[in-house]
Amino acid sequence: MSFEKLNRRRFLAGSALAAGAAPVLAGVRPARAAGTVKIGFLAPLTGDVAAWGLPGLYGCQIWAEQKNAAGGVEIGGESYNVEIVSYDNEYLPDKARTGAQKLINEDGVSFIEMLGGDTMPAVTPIANRAEMLVSTLLPSDLSPDTPFLVAPAEVHPIYNLTGVWWLAENMPEAKTAVICAQDDALGRPSVATYLAAFEAHGIEVKDVIFFDIATTDFAPVMTSMLASSPDILCLDTAYAEFVNELCKQAYVQGYGGQIISCTADFYADIIANTSQEFMEGVIFQFPDFDDPALNDPRINFADPNGFFQTYNQRYPGQWGAVSWEYAAILDLWLDGAQKAGSIEPAAVLAGMKEGGVGAHAFGDARWWGKELFGIDNALVGNWPVVQIQNGKAVIVEFKNIPEWWSMYSDVMIEKFEEMGEMWYQRA
Amino acid sequence: MDLAIFVQTCLNAFYASSYLALVAVGLVLIFGVMRVVNFAHGELYMAGAYALFWVFHQNQLPFFLGVAVAVLAVGAVGLVMERTLFRPMRDNPLGGLICSIGALLILQAGAVALFGVRKKSIPGPYNESVSLFGVESLTISGQRLVVIAFAFLLLAALWLFLRKSRFGWALRAVAQDAEAAALQGISITRIRALAMALGAALAGAAGALTATIVPTGPFMGHPVIIGAFVVIIVGGVGSLEGAVVASVIYAFVNTFVTTFWDGVVADIVGLLLMLGVLVARPHGLFGRAERA
Repeated sequence: MSFEKLNRRRFLAGSALAAGAAPVLAGVRPARAAGTVKIGFLAPLTGDVAAWGLPGLYGCQIWAEQKNAAGGVEIGGESYNVEIVSYDNEYLPDKARTGAQKLINEDGVSFIEMLGGDTMPAVTPIANRAEMLVSTLLPSDLSPDTPFLVAPAEVHPIYNLTGVWWLAENMPEAKTAVICAQDDALGRPSVATYLAAFEAHGIEVKDVIFFDIATTDFAPVMTSMLASSPDILCLDTAYAEFVNELCKQAYVQGYGGQIISCTADFYADIIANTSQEFMEGVIFQFPDFDDPALNDPRINFADPNGFFQTYNQRYPGQWGAVSWEYAAILDLWLDGAQKAGSIEPAAVLAGMKEGGVGAHAFGDARWWGKELFGIDNALVGNWPVVQIQNGKAVIVEFKNIPEWWSMYSDVMIEKFEEMGEMWYQRA
Repeated sequence: MDLAIFVQTCLNAFYASSYLALVAVGLVLIFGVMRVVNFAHGELYMAGAYALFWVFHQNQLPFFLGVAVAVLAVGAVGLVMERTLFRPMRDNPLGGLICSIGALLILQAGAVALFGVRKKSIPGPYNESVSLFGVESLTISGQRLVVIAFAFLLLAALWLFLRKSRFGWALRAVAQDAEAAALQGISITRIRALAMALGAALAGAAGALTATIVPTGPFMGHPVIIGAFVVIIVGGVGSLEGAVVASVIYAFVNTFVTTFWDGVVADIVGLLLMLGVLVARPHGLFGRAERA
C-alpha cells in the first residue's frame, strides 16, 4: 500500500488489520496473552504537522507488532498484547480534547502518546481528572499543573543547544547568526534555547525573524535573514516543509554559509531541491537509525539498525525525526509498567521515575526539569549532533545536556524568561 | 536600507503580486458574473498545483504541458461546479456560498485521498537562481520569473479577450446587468459557465505555476484565498482592474513588512490595509456597485 494512495480511513483500517494479523503471519500464537493493553496515540496524522505524528504512529505499530509476535509483554506476571489506538488531532486543540475523551472513556487506554504543543492545554484538564499518564515530545508543555505528563523521549527544544555547542567547538570562525521561526508553541521556546546557546558560546545573534504558520512564500523571510550577512542561518524548529522551503530560498538567494536546524526531515527532498554541495555540513539533531554510532552499547534503543530497516521496508521514504521517538517512549512505558508490576497509569509513572533515572534511547538519563519547567518530568541525558555528509545524515558527536546545563543554566533561564516561556509565565 | 535588498524585496513582491493577481482576478470574474462568493477558489488553486505534480513530477512530462493540463483540468472542474452546484442555486446567493464551502471540503478530501497528507516539494525545472542587472547579490529563481511572465501574459490575454472578443463583451454585459444582457439575446447560462471556467482556469494556472515554489498540499489554498479576499475588497469587489492593482499593493506591503519587520506583523498590516480602505472607500479603490 503506497503512501501516495493512502487515505486516513484505509490507513487506519489497514493498520488495525496488520496489527491483528502480524502475530498470525509470524507463526506466533498470541493466545497466551492474558489480555490486551491499549495505548492511545493522539497526534496529528493529517494537516501541516502530520510529519511529526504519522511517522511516529508507524514506528509504534512496528513496536507493537514485534512485541505481540513475541507473545506479548510481561507485566506483573501477566502477558498482554499491545494495541495502538490512534486518533488524528490534526494539531487542533478541539480535536485533541475530543480525542483524549474518546481514548480514555471509550477505548480504555492505559497511556496516551502525544506530540504536544498547541494541543496540550486542551488535553491537560482531562488527563488530570482521569489521572491518565500522557507523554509529550515537547517538555515545554510541562509545568507543576501537569503531574501526569512526561517528556521521556526528547527534551525539545533544550537539545538544540548541542548543535550550537558543537558548531562553536568545530567552527570557531562562525561568529554571527540569524534565527527564523514560526510564531507558535514549537517555535518560540526553541528560539529561547538557540538564543541562550549562541550567547553562551559567544555567537552574536543579529536578528530573530518570526513568520506566520500560514506562510507559503519564504523568499521575503530569507531576504530578511540574509540582509545581515550571517555566518550561521538558524532555522529553529521550523516544520518539515518550512525547512525545505527555507533551504530552497537560501540556495536560490546565494547563501553559502552554515545552516543549523532542529530537524531536516526528508532531507533527500531538500537536497533534490537544492544541491548536495549546498546541503553539505548542515547541522541538525535527528539521526537516521542506520547510523553505526547507534550500535554503541550505551544506546538503550533495541536494535536501532534493524528498526530502521524494517521501517523503511514498510514505509519507504517516510523516516523522519519522530519515527523512532514514540516507539522509544513505549520502551520507557513498558519499563515503568514492569517495574510497577501494573498497567495502572499512576503506578507506571512511579515505575518510570523510580530512582530518578531512566533508560533513554540515547543512553541512561535522569529525570529533570524543575528549574525550567517547574517539574522533574523530562528525561535528559545525551543527545546526538547530526551533520549531512555526502548527502547522508551522520552522527558527529553525542553531547551531554546536563553538562551544558551545569555551565550555562542561568543564560537559558534568562532567555526563557525574556521570551515569556518559563512555566510560570505560560501559566 | 541596502539597495540590493530593496531591489530583491521588490522582486519578491512582484512574484507575490503576480500569482495573487491570477487568483484574485478569477475570483472577481466568478463573483462579477455569477454573484457567488466562491470559497472553494483556493482549492481550485490547490487542484492546479496537484495537476502539475501529477503530470510533471509523477509522470515526468514537460513542465508547460503540466501547466496546460492544470488550466484545462481545473477549468473543467469549474464547469462541473457551475453545472452541479451553482446553477441550481442561481437565485439563492447564500445557497451558492454554502455549496462553495461544500466544494472546498470535497476538493480537500479528494486531494488527501489521491495524494496523501504530506506536502510535496516539487523540484522545478528552472530553480537555478538568475543574477539581475549584473549584481551577484541580486538573484531570483528562474521559476519565479516564469510565474511573473506567465501571469502577465495570462492577464493581458484576459484583458484582450474581455475587450476585443464578442464573448468578452457578452461576459462584461452580463456582469453589468444580466437581465438587460438577456434581452439582447445573450445566453446567461452559457456566459455563467464561461465565467466559472475562466475563473477556475486562472486559479489552476496560478497553482500549477507556483507548485514548484511553494509546498503543495491539500490545505495550501487557505492562505491564498484569504489573501485574494483581502485583495478584492481593497481593489473593489467586482473590479478586475482593482484586483490587479490591489494585488500589487497588498503583495508589496506584505513582502516589505515581512522583510524589514516580521511575517506575523505583515499579516496584521495586510488586514489593517483592508480595514483602512473599507473605512475610507467602502466600495474599494476601483469598486462601483455593479462592475466587472
